[in-house]
Amino acid sequence: MLKVTLRGLLAHKLRLSLTAVAIVLGIAFVSSTFVVGDTINNVFGAIFTDANQGIAVVVEGQTLAGASQDIGGGQRLPVPSTLVPTVQHVNGAQQANGVIFRTGATLLSPSGKPIGGNGPPTFGANWVDSPTSPYHLRSGHSPQAADDIVVDAATATANGIRVGQTIQMVFNGGPRQPFHVSGIAGYGSADNVAGATITLFTTPTAMRVLDTQGNFDQIAVLSASGVSDTTLRDRIAAVLPANMVAQTGSAQANQQKQATQSIISILSTALLVFGLIALFVGSFLIVNTFTILIAQRSRELALLRALGATRRQVMVSVLIEAFLTGVVASAVGAALGVLLAIGLARLLGFSLTNGGLTVTPRSIIVSIVVGTVVTVIAAILPARRATRVTPMAALRAAVPEAQPVTRRRIIGGAITAAIGVILLGVGLFAGTGQTLPLLGVGTLALFIGIAYLAPLLVRPIAGALGRPLARLRGVPGRLARENAMRSPRRTASTAAALMIGVALIAAVAVIAASFKASGASAIAGSINAQLLVTDTTSQAGFSTSDAATLRADKRLADVTEVRADSIVAASANQSLLGIDPSAIDRTVAFDMVNGDAASIADAQNVLIDDTTARARGWMTGTVLTVQFPYAPKPTTKRIGGVYRGNALISGFVVSLATYAANFPTQRDFAILANAAAGQSLTAADRAMTADLSAYPTLTIQTKQQFVDANSASIDQAQSLIDVLLVLSIVIAALGVVNTLALSVLERSRELGLLRALGLTRRQTRSMVRWEAVIIALLGALLGLVIGTGMGTAVVRALADQGLSKLSVPASQLIGYVVVAFFIGVLAAVLPARRAARLSILDAIASE
Amino acid sequence: MHATKVFGRADAAVRALDDLTVDFAAGHFTAIMGPSGSGKSTLLHCLAGLDALTSGEVFIGDTELGALKDTELTLLRRRRVGFVFQSFNLVPTLNALDNITLPLAIAGVAPNQALLDEVVGSIGLKDRLQHRPSELSGGQQQRVAAARALVSRPDIIFADEPTGNLDSRSGAELLGFLRTAVENFMQTIVMVTHDPLAAAYADRVVFIADGTTVDEMTSPTADGILDVMKHLGA
Repeated sequence: MLKVTLRGLLAHKLRLSLTAVAIVLGIAFVSSTFVVGDTINNVFGAIFTDANQGIAVVVEGQTLAGASQDIGGGQRLPVPSTLVPTVQHVNGAQQANGVIFRTGATLLSPSGKPIGGNGPPTFGANWVDSPTSPYHLRSGHSPQAADDIVVDAATATANGIRVGQTIQMVFNGGPRQPFHVSGIAGYGSADNVAGATITLFTTPTAMRVLDTQGNFDQIAVLSASGVSDTTLRDRIAAVLPANMVAQTGSAQANQQKQATQSIISILSTALLVFGLIALFVGSFLIVNTFTILIAQRSRELALLRALGATRRQVMVSVLIEAFLTGVVASAVGAALGVLLAIGLARLLGFSLTNGGLTVTPRSIIVSIVVGTVVTVIAAILPARRATRVTPMAALRAAVPEAQPVTRRRIIGGAITAAIGVILLGVGLFAGTGQTLPLLGVGTLALFIGIAYLAPLLVRPIAGALGRPLARLRGVPGRLARENAMRSPRRTASTAAALMIGVALIAAVAVIAASFKASGASAIAGSINAQLLVTDTTSQAGFSTSDAATLRADKRLADVTEVRADSIVAASANQSLLGIDPSAIDRTVAFDMVNGDAASIADAQNVLIDDTTARARGWMTGTVLTVQFPYAPKPTTKRIGGVYRGNALISGFVVSLATYAANFPTQRDFAILANAAAGQSLTAADRAMTADLSAYPTLTIQTKQQFVDANSASIDQAQSLIDVLLVLSIVIAALGVVNTLALSVLERSRELGLLRALGLTRRQTRSMVRWEAVIIALLGALLGLVIGTGMGTAVVRALADQGLSKLSVPASQLIGYVVVAFFIGVLAAVLPARRAARLSILDAIASE
Repeated sequence: MHATKVFGRADAAVRALDDLTVDFAAGHFTAIMGPSGSGKSTLLHCLAGLDALTSGEVFIGDTELGALKDTELTLLRRRRVGFVFQSFNLVPTLNALDNITLPLAIAGVAPNQALLDEVVGSIGLKDRLQHRPSELSGGQQQRVAAARALVSRPDIIFADEPTGNLDSRSGAELLGFLRTAVENFMQTIVMVTHDPLAAAYADRVVFIADGTTVDEMTSPTADGILDVMKHLGA
């Protein structure tokens, strides 16, 4: 029996090849996700080990209230520099070095453009003269003068920076400052830290430019010989004030590794989801291929049965065929994935200079197992069908007959789809806290249910799509329509594969368009100012001197600073805005539910958005306890008003003065302004641009430009997701190719007859092409309907999180239908050529 | 005059047709007979432009088939040739009527309604025209195929063992229908068969063996044909 299976496999290798390609592509994506995740983890692991090499104890400030773990600084209390001598004098401490490592230092290219910042971040740090410093000079000398800097080797190479040159820098949106490149350094043995740009200064310069106010971010302590790290840690801890903590260097490295791993695992999971979507789509192709192959081989299988093979043997024979196909294709896919990983890592902006890819046996084994299991599971249904072939029925039928759509199938499909819809509904609207798993399983169930029901829709939809075709294209169009309808299940499952990709892309389009519309409406509804200033390179905000400059300009009015941070209230982290209340109505439009926006002029008062207020049971007049992150202890505030939150403004709002009193560093998140009386918007815009010409990282926008930029960033996110979904579309297109190719083989006698009766090759190609177009359009239309529905549901569910406007981008959705049309045309090229080339004689003579 | 001439000579290792010359008179029903492997099917395929000769010429009217490109051959089949095969004659997705008018539809020509009615009437399937092939019996399917061949009024109809899969009654019905077509419409028909009873419906029988003509008979009878066939060692 095994021999028969293997012979069958070889005989059908051409027919199975497209199935194999689908598995290869899906698994390549999965395995590359694993490899990239491992590689990034490994790179960061090496970095943190390097960074803490030889360091016995690290002293840091307490984690800020409500702060999340982060790779950069800023989430902990700073370490006062006066603490360094204290630690230095602890018995067993050989050397204690204050370390500064923060974002906000940006190098400028000769043309004045910021270097780096897109993808890996840019850091500024102080140069520490220590045997354990991970920075190793490649050329030049360490920073000694106040304007000396050392640049990481990767950035230097990429931007042609040489020792001795003068380079401009910008700090936190401030003005340009010239620096002198005194040296170029590597990090450990690598050129830099995973692609991040690092600039090193003398300690006093670092304190000044990074605005640390005389503080360090940590103190790194080396131990004298004979003192263990833990002993030294305990001794140091004993002399620290209550808000400072000490831990060993290795504990620090582990903590940092874990923090990055959790971030990377979110990223890997997101990528993995796209790989699994592709595999899911591929499984439709597998089901289809095996169903068609078994239908075509029903005579052969019946013969085996007649000769005494048991049902079990027939089933096992089909499954072994699937198993071998799955193993071979998955192995190829896993290998291809390693190559793909290089590209993916580059797409994510990680340089692989730090030691190449990390390919673990796990990545390969899991990929092969997943691919094989998916293939075998997908083949189980067709295999079961194969066992039901009764010897006589099969020997009788010359052409495999279309499988009827059974009642059981309809009921099963309807129930599955209904479960999917319910899970989606619960996930989106019930607030169970399990939103993502529910959405995933619900979507899966919905797709499977619809795929089961789709054969019912094939006749009406394909019939309707094909009617104009029959009129315009004559006999080939007519036959294409009939062919698309003759085996509803085959057409449906081919179209369903395409439906999945189109549905997801359509859902993303609806959500993205709604984000844009909501963002535009939020901006329109919450900003009255004509002009805005923001920083493109840093989320950390920019210097308050910028606002001072603008305030001095008489062509501008209502110059209002907005600062942003977070605050803990009712045990939850809430976003916090500090706004200058003096011109609040002319710059910010708070849509008050009750209370008064201007009430924040009194430091006791805060504003809160309506969604949070409702959820917490707060109202105007409520007094609550809040914890400012840097404050030593909680304080009480009164709610002075409740406003309608939106995508742009939500959470707590305080006056600028209150903000300044509670945060050690003052940086603006945005500046709002209007044209002064008698000044045109254009003139004011030009004045502002001139005022801030020395601040190259600042972006000056009119309100409309701000709306456009907001849309553009959503467009960017949408196209990234679409790129990742293209793989499933490609696999679905392969499915169309596959179904057509197998159908052409199956219908070779019919094609021969048509050719004998005078159908030209061109007409034959046209017939196959239009069948493909009908299948593709069917998939696209189903996908659009489901995707629009899913997108709408998501938008509605997020309505109270600022997604207030539902927008269905009709022209974009129509565009997808046009694309589907061409996918059909392309998918038909090879099968159509094959159909046209069939020898008429072979076709009509074959018995 | 629709004189049709064939001159064939195959240089293949196995000569399916070996230096054979034969012509078929217009408006006549000719049967080609011969033992298995005699080359009768190959001859038919070459006559119909489905297969190419290694050397030699095939004429339908004044048109030499060997000089035609694929598309020209296709157009020739569409306009001037009709077919009835042994089996699988009909497109399964089309109903009987659509199958009958298929060659006309492919050519984009409206059927001659009077002729269509007459042909449909004579095959006796007026009430089954909306049925798909799978809902018709084998005999009915073959009659639909014959009607399809006739309704485009081709210069010549080629029938390849049209009764091969039919019981004797259905076979007789089909042959009677073909005979009527020759008499009523002056239709030229060439039929390959190995059944002497079927060949007896023809005006003339051409016998071939080993790829060449060996005998012929006009106004044949089944018994006469049987004698020749015995002589040929079939």
